[in-house]
Amino acid sequence: MARMGMVFDLKACIGCNACVIACKQENSLPDGVFFTKTLSEEYGVFPMANRVFIPTICNHCEDAPCEKVCPTGATYTREDGIVMVDDDKCIGCSSCSVACPYDQRTQMDAENFLNGLFGKGEITPFEEDGYGRYTPGTVTKCDFCSQRVDVGLDPACVVTCPTNARIFGDLDNEHSAPSKMIRERHGRPPLPEKNTKPKVFYVN
Amino acid sequence: MAIEDKVFSGDTLRSGYRFQRHWDNSMAYAFIFAELGAGMYFVSLLMNSLPGMIAGLVLVSTGKPYFHLAHMGVPSRSWRAMLRPDRSWISRGLLGLGGMIGTGFLYVIALAFGDQLGVGADAGVVGLLKLASATFAIVVMCYQGFAMSHSTAISIWNSAIIPMASLLYSLSLGVAGALILLPAAQAGGLADTQLLLLLGLAIMHVMLLHGGWHGSPGARTSVELLLQTEYAKWFWGLVVAAGIVLPGLILWMAPDSRVLAIISGLAMLSGFCSWRILIFKIGVYEPILSMNPFHSAN
Repeated sequence: MARMGMVFDLKACIGCNACVIACKQENSLPDGVFFTKTLSEEYGVFPMANRVFIPTICNHCEDAPCEKVCPTGATYTREDGIVMVDDDKCIGCSSCSVACPYDQRTQMDAENFLNGLFGKGEITPFEEDGYGRYTPGTVTKCDFCSQRVDVGLDPACVVTCPTNARIFGDLDNEHSAPSKMIRERHGRPPLPEKNTKPKVFYVN
Repeated sequence: MAIEDKVFSGDTLRSGYRFQRHWDNSMAYAFIFAELGAGMYFVSLLMNSLPGMIAGLVLVSTGKPYFHLAHMGVPSRSWRAMLRPDRSWISRGLLGLGGMIGTGFLYVIALAFGDQLGVGADAGVVGLLKLASATFAIVVMCYQGFAMSHSTAISIWNSAIIPMASLLYSLSLGVAGALILLPAAQAGGLADTQLLLLLGLAIMHVMLLHGGWHGSPGARTSVELLLQTEYAKWFWGLVVAAGIVLPGLILWMAPDSRVLAIISGLAMLSGFCSWRILIFKIGVYEPILSMNPFHSAN
């Protein structure tokens, strides 16, 4: 069985946030809710100062702490390793949010759905159609666009990235693009000391 | 790196420490009601104090569910939280809470109206209720600490000291309640027990601060937040001075005074509430990449 994962090439990421917008569009995310964010970090001292962009996403950990603490079984792992949230079972207790070392979970408050993407309280037909998949009060996160993966497509953020900074594929297949990149460029998971065995890696 | 040099990114798009804000004051109040109520019930049970048991049960069955439901995103589905006791401390706690309230009220009813109901206090079923409610009360006293310490996400919480703190605070507040409610003759010896519990609390705080300071960057940051920022005055003033030192002095110098016992109990409660709120506020997530990979390449 496949073990889907992602690699972020920090040298390629230019911080354009196209992935963030693509994610919001694909998943109809309401105001203030993000499944992926591009963080920035400055380093060095002038005139050698620079900035690195760090894309973040749910790491779909093999030993997912969010799954372990979920009191209802709403969080579960699919056979292909994608960690999912069953909206119908989630009670919005936020124990998964507290347990995630990467702070990658968001509670969908009712207010999130009221503002609209333009923040003026107007809900477009696109939003109206998309919001139906969520229950206000539940906790959500990235699912690697599982609806796209199921039909053989890459996640929206990967397809949109103009610099190929996001590489998605099967980590169990040694010939897949992410496996090769992790091997050749010494990919490193975020916060390995947390022992969550993430399936997202960073290379530079 | 000093605390003022650290980056707290909040909800901005900078890399840095992020405060946990998923469990807010509402959750802190729920924790307070549960630990206070379970402690009062447990100690009152041991001391055969019916008013204390009733007070404990009322606290656990009103404040705890109210604040928990207020925090919950979909309260109408809250019953689902008891479905996974095999892996979640929230589930175990909810079952313990239900068990404590159920068996506790039945035990109190048996004690109060046993004669009319034809059930003696020494009947086997009453003893069973007493044992069950005491066991469930211990679960309620501890489980919130385990729910916090179970995950590695927030380093300062990921410590065996956190459940111990829950237990110690529960017991000490239960003893404080008993010292107020019980007649002096019946409460004899409790003052010494309370002094030992206060000593335990002091040692627990030292251990937590020491462990955090020498622990991961996130744990150290939490300790720095507690000791070097605006939280310091609340920690030293309420948690340490009012919550431990003042009650200790009162119980050492005037263990039999009812008025001072009330003052001591209120001071301990203020220290406990402050501690519960502060431990939520100082919880931080570590930066997503603990070492900038570009630094390591240089």
